[in-house]
Amino acid sequence: MRALSIASTGMLAQQTNVEVIANNLANMNTTAFKQQRAEFADLLYQNIQTPGSQTSDQGTYAPNGIQLGAGVRTAAVYRILTQGDLKATGNPYDCAIQGAGFFRVQQVDGTDAYSRSGNFSLSPQGQLVTQDGLIIQPGIAIPQNTMSVTINSQGQVNALVAGNSTPQTIGQFELTRFPNEAGLNAIGNNLYLETPGSGSPQAGVPGSTGYGTIQQGFLETSNVNSVDEITSLITAQRAYEMNSKVISAADQMLQDTARLGT
Amino acid sequence: MDNSLLVSLSHQLASYRAIDVIANNIANASTPGFKREAAKFEEFVAMMRPAEGQTGLQPVSFVKDAGVMRDTSQGNIQQTGAIYDIAITGPGYFQVQTPAGMRYTRDGHFSLNNEGNLVTSQGYAVQGDGGAILIAPSDGEIVIAPDGTVSSVLNGVANLLGKLKIVDFANSDALTKQGSNLYSTMQTPTVPANVGVRQGALEASNVQPVIEISHMIEVMRAYEATASLSKSQEDLMRQAIDELGKMPSA
Repeated sequence: MRALSIASTGMLAQQTNVEVIANNLANMNTTAFKQQRAEFADLLYQNIQTPGSQTSDQGTYAPNGIQLGAGVRTAAVYRILTQGDLKATGNPYDCAIQGAGFFRVQQVDGTDAYSRSGNFSLSPQGQLVTQDGLIIQPGIAIPQNTMSVTINSQGQVNALVAGNSTPQTIGQFELTRFPNEAGLNAIGNNLYLETPGSGSPQAGVPGSTGYGTIQQGFLETSNVNSVDEITSLITAQRAYEMNSKVISAADQMLQDTARLGT
Repeated sequence: MDNSLLVSLSHQLASYRAIDVIANNIANASTPGFKREAAKFEEFVAMMRPAEGQTGLQPVSFVKDAGVMRDTSQGNIQQTGAIYDIAITGPGYFQVQTPAGMRYTRDGHFSLNNEGNLVTSQGYAVQGDGGAILIAPSDGEIVIAPDGTVSSVLNGVANLLGKLKIVDFANSDALTKQGSNLYSTMQTPTVPANVGVRQGALEASNVQPVIEISHMIEVMRAYEATASLSKSQEDLMRQAIDELGKMPSA
């Protein structure tokens, strides 16, 4: 009786589906969070009778064969990298990326990580850092006695220092793109790492061809659509229920079989 | 041996197969591009030796599984928003290059690999009219037209990158399933007359839960009935042996 194991693969797949939906909903208010989606594929088939097999020496063929499936598996949990809405915060160090690209930050071990979350603050040394204190790359230091900081859409950072009449340029944001951004490895804390699947990073100036622009005073919200997620949740729950019904039906048949010999 | 037990057995085996096919449909209710299947049965007539009072061979019908039919009707189009998710509306399959040769699929969840080629979730290159489709990060916004043309729009200027190869077959029922949403075949692909694709969407599986569950109940009840038939046959035989085998009392 294959039905028992087939239905259990179905239940496992739907469980993964619910887990992915739960994570999306939990991160609805996470800055620059990108929605994920579970995708499924059918398992290998057992050929009882191969489609197109010859049924006589007169050249007649079976129009369809007998292929018995073995259930379903999770093929991928992929990220949908559409733009999130921009939310005005008024904080001068909040930067949202409008368009493609990631900020590059240096982790404590010296390696690079990438993030779209632009809620930056200042370190005790005046460096622009993420909420976990990781320095953004290339480093941008805000001089002491700065009255105001403006960041233009091309990522140029200008500071008006007390005693000066004109703002001076103190740094330049850089954005990084990858051939396959969905192949980045998410490590939590809104950070992503380069992988062999993502391809190598390509740095560029915001606003240049193929790169997004920087919006000062805004944050990118998550691109999770709650209506979508709840609908998927209902579908997943019903699919789970149906698979469990198959298990009870198969169980009933086996009970009937067992009763034969009594 | 009594034929009725064997006839019941043939039905029980067929029911097992039917419930396996239904279980696979339900398990794949969320698999993109999955096509529901139905087990088809046929009568198998065997000539058996006559019972008492009959002359000549007597026909007895058994049930035999003839094939698994695939319902290739269109699944619902599900909006996902991912730019490389492509649904085929209408007939046809995407052509995919795998190490084992060309494969065909209706699961249009694609992404880019590290070289910028459009690939399936297993990393197999999706074929365009001129081989794999290459998309560079600097290409700007990617637009896939309803006829499968992939182009990028940069500063208002469209740049042609390729055209998805959508193929069809004379007998799409005879495609062999390979798992992972892929089909293989020895047939020569043809080009369908009107190709339609939709970007940012996937074709959902065409499994209808109501139909599958009602089928399942039907198979389960039929199995139950056959099982009780076998049971009463067995009781009958046991009774006959008990009665006929009794030692005559002195």
